[in-house]
Amino acid sequence: MLKIENLHKRFGDLVVLDGVNFEVPEGTTTVILGRSGIGKSVLLKCIVRLIEPDKGKIFIEGKNIFELTLKELNELRKNIGFLFQSSALYDSMTVKENLAFPLLRHTGLTNKEIEERIKEILNLVGLAEAISKMPSELSGGMKKRIALARSLILNPKIMLYDEPTTGLDPVTSKEIAKLIIEMQKKFKMTNIVVTHDMVVALSTADKILLLENGNFIFEGTPEQLLNSELDIAKKFLSTKLD
Amino acid sequence: MMKLIDSINNFFSVIGGLTSFTLRFFVEVFRPPYEITEIRKHMDELGVKTFSIVSITGFIIGLVLGMQSQPVLARFGAEMFLPGMIALSVIRELGPVLTALIFAGRVGSGIGAELGSMRVTEQIDAMEVSAVDPFRFLVVTRVIATTLMLPLLTIYVDLIALLGGYVAVIITQNMTFSYYIQLVLDAVRFSDIIPGVSKTFVFGFVVGIVGSYLGFNASKGTEGVGKASTTSVVISSLLILLIDSVIVRLTLIIFPD
Ligand SMILES: Nc1ncnc2c1ncn2[C@@H]1O[C@H](COP(=O)(O)OP(=O)(O)OP(=O)(O)O)[C@@H](O)[C@H]1O
Ligand SMILES: [Mg+2]
Repeated sequence: MLKIENLHKRFGDLVVLDGVNFEVPEGTTTVILGRSGIGKSVLLKCIVRLIEPDKGKIFIEGKNIFELTLKELNELRKNIGFLFQSSALYDSMTVKENLAFPLLRHTGLTNKEIEERIKEILNLVGLAEAISKMPSELSGGMKKRIALARSLILNPKIMLYDEPTTGLDPVTSKEIAKLIIEMQKKFKMTNIVVTHDMVVALSTADKILLLENGNFIFEGTPEQLLNSELDIAKKFLSTKLD
Repeated sequence: MMKLIDSINNFFSVIGGLTSFTLRFFVEVFRPPYEITEIRKHMDELGVKTFSIVSITGFIIGLVLGMQSQPVLARFGAEMFLPGMIALSVIRELGPVLTALIFAGRVGSGIGAELGSMRVTEQIDAMEVSAVDPFRFLVVTRVIATTLMLPLLTIYVDLIALLGGYVAVIITQNMTFSYYIQLVLDAVRFSDIIPGVSKTFVFGFVVGIVGSYLGFNASKGTEGVGKASTTSVVISSLLILLIDSVIVRLTLIIFPD
């Protein structure tokens, strides 16, 4: 479904990705862990070609995305949902307009159908009352959930979550984790989740990868991570200051 | 000295980037579909944003020009030419250029800041990922709006300035408004109006494309947004004055008196 081969990216002297390889089978969830500033967001952005890597291949549904024309790439992007770490809601538009934006451009839905779809997705993220608010009137956590709704609204086959629960309280975080699992089961979605939140990581992952110095230093199931002897893995799991 | 060289270098690199950005605009602008609602929305916003300031400026240009010229013309006993002189100065030069400069200050900085903040908060990236071309949706619509809006504003400013000129005239002379208009119409030819208004399409385009270019390519951080905003005012004002001097020369060749 999604396969990444030998991906390299540097900014000046800073090597961020140094030959990354991994594969995400269809309908599964891969969680990427890693310290702040290590290159997780850069990796996700390469997958949708927001950042051009220096070297490497990315196959989605068997096609190397760097060989696609812009038109083909955009067809592909319609099937990919991307939740930005910063939410990235359009701040000149209301919540409703934010959610209608992809629907108006990529579906033949009538206004009434669009309205229904928006209500449905807002209920899913538990924010039906926010429909006519501007992004500036929302809290950070609310923005995150609206952004989540916007990235899910076209029922993408692949979802890339960049820190879906940062800035959310533990209760809402668990709701989001449940939502990720539920969506995956219901629509057979293929997910990549970047997170620092161990609850999300352990509950949603089929596979966990740990990024460090440009490459993965751990790859395994949640159970394997829990039993790992790696220092950094232990630090991620520990609740103590040491 | 190093700073000066840096800023000259910077100016030329902006002009280089701007040129390819402009070419891209011309490739995209001839490709339907058009985001008509978005264009109209921007035009409305531009109008609202600039209406009061250009009204005041227009009136004062006419008034001051009239008051300054009156004694000079009186010296030669040529006071009857005052309305015609005001009209020609306003229509050929002052109306278009001053409106364009105000437009650059108000609208150019706004576009730079708007797109700049969309860039640094990843809204432009989000649009790209959702398979909508941000260049078409954000840039093309804004540039079309500024290009169409500035000529309309200029015509309005010209009219308001003539009103200001009339006020200046009646301070020292007895003249009915209809006679004033008569004198204005006698002096003004089509060959004064056409170049005066048509150059504002170019100025409007410059304001839109410079603001969009700098905003679209803003560097990360709030500092980048501020820089995009102020730099667009500086660059577009400079370009407006440069282009104006070229157009004035061309006009004199095309419409010799
Ligand atoms: N456009 C860019 N230009 C230059 N450097 C960049 C750019 N984008 C990212 N970087 C650098 O690449 C490194 C990785 O950044 P990235 O945003 O991927 O980190 P991250 O793992 O997502 O961190 P966090 O958990 O804090 O979000 C950082 O050192 C960052 O400074
Ligand atoms: Mg990140």
